[in-house]
Amino acid sequence: MIRPLLWLVAGAVLGGIIHIFVILMLPALAEQSVWTRVAAIDADNRMAILPPVKAGEPNPLGLDPELVYGLCRVDLSQGPAYVKGTLPDAFWSVALFNQSGIIAYSTTNRDGIGQVMDLGIFNASQTRLLAQQQLDVAEGLLVVESTSDKLLVLVRLAPPHDVVRGRFERSLANVTCGTRP
Amino acid sequence: MRFVFYLLMMIVVALGVGFGLSYYALTDGRLFGVAQVGPWHAWPDVGASAPNPYTRGHLARTAAFELGQSEGLQFTASSDSDGQALTRDCSYSVQGKTPLATFWTLVALDDAGINIAAPDVAPAMHSANIVRTNEGDIQINIGTRLMPGNWLELAGAGPFKLVLSLYDTAVFSGFSSDESMPVILRGECA
Repeated sequence: MIRPLLWLVAGAVLGGIIHIFVILMLPALAEQSVWTRVAAIDADNRMAILPPVKAGEPNPLGLDPELVYGLCRVDLSQGPAYVKGTLPDAFWSVALFNQSGIIAYSTTNRDGIGQVMDLGIFNASQTRLLAQQQLDVAEGLLVVESTSDKLLVLVRLAPPHDVVRGRFERSLANVTCGTRP
Repeated sequence: MRFVFYLLMMIVVALGVGFGLSYYALTDGRLFGVAQVGPWHAWPDVGASAPNPYTRGHLARTAAFELGQSEGLQFTASSDSDGQALTRDCSYSVQGKTPLATFWTLVALDDAGINIAAPDVAPAMHSANIVRTNEGDIQINIGTRLMPGNWLELAGAGPFKLVLSLYDTAVFSGFSSDESMPVILRGECA
């Protein structure tokens, strides 16, 4: 009686090991990530407006139909990145996604930033350089340190009404974004 | 002969436990980092810069633009408050209070994540554009058949899920004990 039970316990333990292995391997085995899903969008060093979500159409990126999305792809190995612009007086937020779709940094305009978005994104060595040279950082500039070089900058802007959507999209498209060699 | 049988049994148990548990952890996931409030569930870790391995697996499965930790939190419900699966054969009413947030949106999606709101109407409910009760509670009626008040009109047939996105919210941040979520009540069915 004891022996089959031992085999069952051994099976359960082995199952636990398989489970841990599967969970840890899954992100590496995934064929699609946000990075590959937006690969076709021309957003290198510029703010591209994502098409609005309509009922009955696929929405693989899980976007909210009420929001306006601006996407910009930067590579910090070409120099520190900046995102700069003035947005309409409404809720907006910024998120930085790395290549595995993990959010490296996020903030909203409720954090005392107001309407002016001024973001400087640096990798570890650029941050060290910034500290060594003791440069004056302009007031209002938000300094963000990132562990990965390749980033997606996603700006969410919430128009209070559908009528102003076009104007909000235009002012989000005017936001400059890119790297400074 | 008996040894071979035991070995096969062990392998079957190991595979069943290993893959079954992994599937459960990433779909239902109640024991693995998913927060549950009534019929609503959320992955509170999804917007963190160093999410736990289960949340990483969830991120790999959805491959969508999730909300960052300071941006908000998204709740999903695929059953009503009695535990019955949401279906377009029935009408539903979402009632009660939402956690503190700058604003929120409510959308209905099918299994593939496609918005199933009726064409020519707004595809989402926005917290600023609804009528509230005298107590400030919300009441949103959801279904394919005409309903009074705030009506999220759906199209088609089959199961669906509700996604409530809270923007700029304090829920699960440790700064708020207000984790009350609205109930989902089932109305008439066809």
